[in-house]
Amino acid sequence: MSMIVEEVATTLYFDRTFDCDAAKISPGEYYFTDKHMVIVTVLGSCVSACVRDSITGIGGMNHFMLPDSANADKDSPVSESMRYGSYAMEVLINQLLRNGARRENLEAKIFGGGNVLKSFTTTNVGIRNASFVKKFLKDERIRVIGEDLLDVFPRKVYFFPKTGKVLVKKLRQLNNNTLFEREEAYASKLKTNDVGGEIDLF
Amino acid sequence: MANPNTKFLVVDDFSTMRRIVRNLLKELGYANVDEAEDGAIGLAKLKGGDFEFVISDWNMPNMDGLMMLIQIRKDPQLASLPVLMVTAEAKKENIIAAAQAGANGYIVKPFTAATLDEKLAKIFEKLEKAAA
Repeated sequence: MSMIVEEVATTLYFDRTFDCDAAKISPGEYYFTDKHMVIVTVLGSCVSACVRDSITGIGGMNHFMLPDSANADKDSPVSESMRYGSYAMEVLINQLLRNGARRENLEAKIFGGGNVLKSFTTTNVGIRNASFVKKFLKDERIRVIGEDLLDVFPRKVYFFPKTGKVLVKKLRQLNNNTLFEREEAYASKLKTNDVGGEIDLF
Repeated sequence: MANPNTKFLVVDDFSTMRRIVRNLLKELGYANVDEAEDGAIGLAKLKGGDFEFVISDWNMPNMDGLMMLIQIRKDPQLASLPVLMVTAEAKKENIIAAAQAGANGYIVKPFTAATLDEKLAKIFEKLEKAAA
């Protein structure tokens, strides 16, 4: 079994609409910057936290979901599922702190958790993801200053870390199935892989 | 399993992660657990208490886990204290640095309960052998 690792997004381009550099993140990725940039993602049942230092403007966004586990204890705080979520949040926040953000200055806006995937057998995937990210930020005492969660539509989210501005577009109609295919591929990757890193050196 | 009264210190700047490790330890039968939110507070607690095992994150404000580990190994009172690193740092150079600084074990997040159990068992086993 291979290990699931949160990766830095590599899809960078120049966005003509916003006239600035842009990073597009997919499920399981994150991106952070201290520059005038826009970070973009499309969310179905996944969630994204847009976290920034309100003083310096360094900020980033992740995009993840909790692994859907068959274990009865999947909602317990120590379950594999919750540990993966905490990890996905920690990786982003650690990067911000390492690059000069201060914990007491952190603020977050949270998005996603829509009930959009029909093929999930457990019906409340979006709700689980949304309540996880809310609880995590509350426990870590990181201010949530904006949210657009749940509902049934996918969302396209544009985050400008420097200013903290976020634009959300509800996608009432999708031209293709790419979003669903990506999320389902991500969900099944989380399911079939061991969400645990292990290194034996000692 | 080692003595269930073994006194643990869990050092992590995320309260979520401290709670996860504390709960996992409880599941494994260890209930004597204290917490610290960074390396500086951790080190102060270690100097003031009779801790027998440290589980620490790497990336933390004020003093990171590696620096705390180095300080532990320098302190004659604490030098032989077992330290298990549990961190999101998965790069080879991180792991080598931790090994060189004297970590007893290294777990990469996200980790499973089984991994923690296994690592603890391995460390306790080595300590027993060394003591025998």
